[in-house]
Amino acid sequence: MKKQRYERPLIKKLEDNMPNKFGMRKEYLPMTHIDDVSVKELIDQYGSPLFVISERKIRDNIRKAKTAFETRYPKVQFAWSYKTNYLNAVCNTFHQEGSWAEVVSEFEYDKAIHNGINGSKIIYNGPDKTEESIVKAINNSSLIHIDHLDEFYTIRDVAIRLNKIARVAIRVNMDTGIYPMWDRFGFNYENGQAWTALNKIMHSDVMNLVGLHTHIGTFMLSPNAYAVAAGKLADLAIGIRDRYKHEIEYIDMGGGFASMNKLRGSYLPGTDINPTINDFAEAITGALISSNFGPGKLPLLILETGRALIDDAAHLLGTVISNKRLSDGRRSTIIDIGVNLLFTSFWYEHNITPAQPFTQYSEDTVVYGPLCMNIDVLRENISLPLLNRGEHVVIQNVGAYNMTQWMQFITLRPRIVMIDMEGNPHVVRERESLERLLEFERMPDHLKDFKL
Amino acid sequence: MRNGLSGIINSYTQVFFSKNIVFAIILFIVTFFDLYAGLAGLLAVIFTNLAATIIGLNTEKVREGVYGFNSLLVGLGIGIYYQPGVEFYIVLFFISLLTLFFSVGLEGVLGKYGLPFLSIPFLFGIWMVIIASTGYSALDISERGIYNLNDMYAIGGFAMVNLYDWFNNLQVPESLRIYFKSLSAILFQYHMFAGLLIAIGLLFYSRIAFLLSLIGFYAAYYFYQFIGADISELSYSYIGFNYILTAIAAGGFFIVPSRYSILSVVILTPLVAITLSSTAYLFSFVHLSVFSLPFNIVVILFLYVIKFRERNIERLAPVTFQQYSPEKHAYSQKNYMLRFGNLPWIAMKLPFWGEWKVTQAHNGEYTHKGDWKHAWDFEIADEEGKVYDGTGTTLKDYYCYNKPVASPADGIIETVEDGIDDNLIGDMNLEKNWGNSVVIEHAEKLYSQISHLKKDSITVAVGQPVKQGEVIGYCGNSGRSPIPHIHFQFQEAPSIGSKTVDYPVSSYFIQKDNKHTFKTSDKPVLDEKVSNIQNNELVQNAYHFVPGETIRFETNEQGKEDQHEWEVKSDIYNNTFFECRQSSAKVWFKDLGDVFYFTHYEGRKNTLLYYFYLSSFKVVKAFYPDLVVHDKYPLTSYPNRKALILQDFCIPFFKFLKTSYQLNFTKASDQSSKEIILHTKARFGKADNGVNSIDFIINITEEGISRIDIKKDKTKITAIRIK
Repeated sequence: MKKQRYERPLIKKLEDNMPNKFGMRKEYLPMTHIDDVSVKELIDQYGSPLFVISERKIRDNIRKAKTAFETRYPKVQFAWSYKTNYLNAVCNTFHQEGSWAEVVSEFEYDKAIHNGINGSKIIYNGPDKTEESIVKAINNSSLIHIDHLDEFYTIRDVAIRLNKIARVAIRVNMDTGIYPMWDRFGFNYENGQAWTALNKIMHSDVMNLVGLHTHIGTFMLSPNAYAVAAGKLADLAIGIRDRYKHEIEYIDMGGGFASMNKLRGSYLPGTDINPTINDFAEAITGALISSNFGPGKLPLLILETGRALIDDAAHLLGTVISNKRLSDGRRSTIIDIGVNLLFTSFWYEHNITPAQPFTQYSEDTVVYGPLCMNIDVLRENISLPLLNRGEHVVIQNVGAYNMTQWMQFITLRPRIVMIDMEGNPHVVRERESLERLLEFERMPDHLKDFKL
Repeated sequence: MRNGLSGIINSYTQVFFSKNIVFAIILFIVTFFDLYAGLAGLLAVIFTNLAATIIGLNTEKVREGVYGFNSLLVGLGIGIYYQPGVEFYIVLFFISLLTLFFSVGLEGVLGKYGLPFLSIPFLFGIWMVIIASTGYSALDISERGIYNLNDMYAIGGFAMVNLYDWFNNLQVPESLRIYFKSLSAILFQYHMFAGLLIAIGLLFYSRIAFLLSLIGFYAAYYFYQFIGADISELSYSYIGFNYILTAIAAGGFFIVPSRYSILSVVILTPLVAITLSSTAYLFSFVHLSVFSLPFNIVVILFLYVIKFRERNIERLAPVTFQQYSPEKHAYSQKNYMLRFGNLPWIAMKLPFWGEWKVTQAHNGEYTHKGDWKHAWDFEIADEEGKVYDGTGTTLKDYYCYNKPVASPADGIIETVEDGIDDNLIGDMNLEKNWGNSVVIEHAEKLYSQISHLKKDSITVAVGQPVKQGEVIGYCGNSGRSPIPHIHFQFQEAPSIGSKTVDYPVSSYFIQKDNKHTFKTSDKPVLDEKVSNIQNNELVQNAYHFVPGETIRFETNEQGKEDQHEWEVKSDIYNNTFFECRQSSAKVWFKDLGDVFYFTHYEGRKNTLLYYFYLSSFKVVKAFYPDLVVHDKYPLTSYPNRKALILQDFCIPFFKFLKTSYQLNFTKASDQSSKEIILHTKARFGKADNGVNSIDFIINITEEGISRIDIKKDKTKITAIRIK
């Protein structure tokens, strides 16, 4: 007979409200495997904590997203938003699926080039484009999305100096009926800034206006806002056509589609209320098709979707360090995943699932990370089964922003593993080591020695 | 003047179904073996063509000698019979006019049935003039035929007489002697020498025609022997040629040469023999020769009969585009049919965006039967082939539900039915079985119908013009539709659910295991995942040629520089072609929106235009790095003329020369320029060994085709576009 799993004793207030027909049990399953690979074996082999990315899920997501748009609109192009997750293995998976690259800094630009992306398929966004990177972008025929007029002048001067034509677009911000309105990036539509910039570009001999770009927000829960934005960009494009007899090549609707994570303060889980990629696709393409472009004249539709394509393709595996009772009687569990690895826990209520079977009993718990810092709280309140030290948990939907915004703080950053289409794990980023970190440090001579 | 001259020349070669100038000159000389007959023939042609021009008949037909050749034969015929004189030439003029009238009249009658009038006008003309002239005392019967050595002397002095004499006394087999005489009899000559010259001309014009003339003649010869008929009948009057003309007409001119066409020549020979003997007997009572009557009867009947075939159509293919050369028919017709056989006159695209799966095709297992058998059902499927996400119990779960549906081509909205509720999953509305539908008129008797659209989603109204790709509604689940899908069919009438038409989709991709295959003018079949082609603007712009446009290139062939200028033109039949100013070479092209085709090249095979034809034989106006376009050149564009001669003889039986065309796309390595490069491989050769290859690299920029690099054996030619 197999040895029974020990579960700590639990005293719970009797909840005397009406039981539903399923009784009062917590019915959810442990997550023992990711893409048929055992969580326990992954941790045994690669250590804990551990990020695990599913290549199958990435490909599935991008294909579904492409289908959602391509069956609704004749010309669609996805561009992988590097800042969401610029791990080379992730980027290349998207590039293999036909995505271009969308970058927002010189570092990301260089990374995309390093990955072998043709310069003309890099979209260069962001408010801080260095002059050196603008030189590269113009030389490589990259698509430069102008964020402010100072940048316009820099691009113009560089292009004149290089005697080349820069392929540019402007980023437009606008009122789409949502709050907060993102007006810090690009040129405003309503107050006429956008037209000022467009007129300057159209009158410049060294710039070719190839597109229009907007990015109305992040983790958008209203597809209709995209319809409004697409309509406004279409109006701008048609205005340019009428005024300058110039047809732009593309409209870039940016990203910001919500993933299935649950935002803090939201009552229902993300899967119940967040719009799907189909809802966004319907809103955007519907608005473009019903605009006045006319059939056969529709511009290319570019999407810089990041989060919605990668969030659910990555999991963070961790191990329980200890259980503790707090002064007010609440239960707390400490795991080896801190907020330094799970940056998104500041705005999501991440789902935490045990990686081994458990009974129906659960207890409201605070989940803390391993950092010796008061802010290191992963969940203020979660109903968890009774976990023991050394047992494993899986945090889902961690693909977006965590692997780019994580920091080396107190602990070293762990490995990242990608499970390929055949179910074989590959290390795609090694664990940090002290030696590697020390390489960055320089010691002035007078501080080399000390005596205690 | 030039037209007049070619009208005369073509009238001579038309007799042998040819337009070959060398052959024309030989025939012209042969007619002058009898000086006055030759003159009468020439005058008859001139009279006829002048009259046709003055009357205002189609100048192109006059130029092709369509009206002239019957008068030529009449002229030659009566030129032999009668002594020349003023009266004779006046009669000649009027009989030429009458023959022209017969030609036009018969063209009208037979043309309606798609049949040629062959030499029937000649028969009417010559019979009438022979009968009528029995009462014309001013016309004298010629006696020249008896002393034809005099004529030979008149043409070439003693040398000619000696040559003629030597040849006529040459020991050749009896059958060959009759063959040559029969050939010469076509031009009312009656001696071996003329026959020999004609045979040489025939061989020069077409190896197949020459071969057919022998086959036709010997089939008759042996049939006569077998049946015990009088062979001297063949050698006696002007009738042996009936077999030769029948063989050329039925074996290679009106029918594409093949082993079946040769078999039919052998089978037709006894028919000609029976017709010949019987009509000759009847005609002897009115003292007339049957001339080419048996040939006319048998060939016209034969061509008429094969039009009524319902089966076995591919075995004997009638020539659809007359090129005046059995070789060209053999080489290009099959190739043409393969490339454009079912090329529709209106390019239909798939009525949606993105990739959809065919869930019921033509002659489908559920509802595509009977009058509605030429229809498709489309749904969207994922990697695993599932058509829904989630449980599949609500409409929204289905990938295709509420996806836009677009017009397959330009047209006018003819019928709209909307307001039928979408069914729950699994339900069917058998009462309103088509559901919400739109019918679009694209041309007379060509409508497209799209059904099972979502309720109240139709965005068009009756009478509204739509463009290809314009959204007309959204996919739903109305009518006889248990799960969301669209039903798509071409039909011949505007009402919903009319009888379907078998009509192809002009071009599309099939995706299997992430590999794309390109299809033109084909019909998607069950379970295929299909999508429309996304055009690339650069390629589209580069291969968009407008009549009136001039294209100039500067070539450099190992230091030798040259300039070329092509003009884009169109003819009255809306065919578009390039014409080279320097070499007058012509190349015809078709532009079907998605695909650019060269169809046919005429001219020398070392011009830049010829290389351009080879390099851009079929260009898909898209950019897909994984896409390879394959095609086969017709043998008419084979670069090596000598290699073709042997093939000419065997083409009815087998083809040993092979051609292939392959095109793929790459981007230029220099990313700063907006440029696409096309790579073309042209291959010619006997099976696998001894391959002739020509490789091309075509650079396309925003200004169009900017440069063509040609690599042929050790020769390298660079052509750069100049303004």
